[in-house]
Amino acid sequence: MAVPLGVPAVPVLHVGEPIDPTLWAWLSDKIDHVLGLSPGVVVAILGTFIVLFPIVVVIFALRRRAEMGQ
Amino acid sequence: MSTINAGSEKTPKKGIYYGWYIIAAMFFVGVAATGSRMGFGVFVETWEKEWGVSTAAISLAAAIGALVSGVAQPIFGRLTDKYGGRRVMILSLAVSGVATIGLATVSNVFGLIILYGFVLSFVFGGVSPTIKGVVIARWFERRRGMAMGILMAGAAIGAMIVVPFLSYALIEFGWKTAWVIIGIVILVLGLPVLYLVVRNTPQEMGMNPDGDEPVTSESGEVEIIVRPVGPSYVEDWKKSYRSAPMWQLTFGFLVCGITSTSMTIHFVRWAISEDVSVSYAAFAFGVLSVLNAVGVFTMGMLSDKMQRKNLLGIVYLTRAVAFISLIVFPGNIAVWAFAFVGGVSWLATVPMTSSLTADVYGTRNLGTLSGFTGLAHSLGGAAAVLLFGLAFTAWGSYDVPFAIGALTLVAAGIVSLSIREKDHSVRYVQVPAGSALDSSEDGD
Repeated sequence: MAVPLGVPAVPVLHVGEPIDPTLWAWLSDKIDHVLGLSPGVVVAILGTFIVLFPIVVVIFALRRRAEMGQ
Repeated sequence: MSTINAGSEKTPKKGIYYGWYIIAAMFFVGVAATGSRMGFGVFVETWEKEWGVSTAAISLAAAIGALVSGVAQPIFGRLTDKYGGRRVMILSLAVSGVATIGLATVSNVFGLIILYGFVLSFVFGGVSPTIKGVVIARWFERRRGMAMGILMAGAAIGAMIVVPFLSYALIEFGWKTAWVIIGIVILVLGLPVLYLVVRNTPQEMGMNPDGDEPVTSESGEVEIIVRPVGPSYVEDWKKSYRSAPMWQLTFGFLVCGITSTSMTIHFVRWAISEDVSVSYAAFAFGVLSVLNAVGVFTMGMLSDKMQRKNLLGIVYLTRAVAFISLIVFPGNIAVWAFAFVGGVSWLATVPMTSSLTADVYGTRNLGTLSGFTGLAHSLGGAAAVLLFGLAFTAWGSYDVPFAIGALTLVAAGIVSLSIREKDHSVRYVQVPAGSALDSSEDGD
């Protein structure tokens, strides 16, 4: 198996370097095998979290500031 | 001299401290920004096929990006100290969002090097853990280690969300649309979160660090509390290099870069050289990733209860054990030993180094100082990647570079343990502003 030169290899990295494509290919195969979901469903689930999380944070933070009289 | 902890004027608190909302916002900014950085690896194979180029050619952009990102850290750190982290992060994230969308228009390696290697990697310095750590350090004093630990653990967890998202978006929509999506996430969600939630300091909101309520005088007026400083507090960042802790912390972080970045590049090559399959190594690193998030949070929390330098030293020595295990054990055992022992020490250096820097030198120049330690990390990492590769080519084995890595880690452990934290840190010694190192012109 070809190992890329210069592309870091750790799934969760130290200071935000790119993920290794070889390892990611293996990991995504495992995710497919375990979850059995189509790519569209995975995108929808993770996308929902990515969209809702900041909205929830902003709502709660603004509520908190209103409580503090800011 | 007083030996009470910083912020000892604690009074009962009402509601959730606003600093935790800042951490939540920072977490999301990390998810969004890291996506455009880490996502690079997801697209390599696609680019190889579409552009007809080698992995090495594409990797050049990643290698340049790593160096550019390191050089950017002290620059953005200085800007943060002058103009505040919020402004720096908003501007950096805005450029990052536009550049990420721009990646969809790239059609060759040269464009990738310019847009990813230089532009995106440079502005990433403005939303890096260094800058976020500066803002967090100003919001938390007593629970600084835990807050930093949560921030770093959150970044690790965030990566587990955004990398699969990008990967499956690539399958579903194609790589160009995937980049556009993440760019839109940055601009439409990341920027408003930063703008609406994040503030540079608790004082901007009439609050004190850790949520300590403002002290009210008998006449009912809110009194301004002058935060205590440590004996090594500096107004001018250059003076911090006249005292030992800055050099000790920088040396430790240099070794951290040498031993972490080298492994991110060479771990798979080592596994193959030891007849360990890539899938086996990947699973071991999955375990390492989980332990990583647990380890950084636990170490951060513990560092608020005891001397940070002791934990920092232990973490470096623990990583040294992980490196030694790679030499003494057969490959299939060593891979697990490294995953378990190395996992708990992988990220834990970051919150403790940042927190200790803030404890000793104050938060006024924390961006600049953390930027320089971050630069040392990047340069050490870049040099180690090259040298580990040359050593493997020369000897056909990683034993020598791993032994050197272990030795540097032992040295970093001893140097960290030798930091005289109780003489320098505001957690243990508080002096009136004006009688600190800055005015005495005297170092260690």
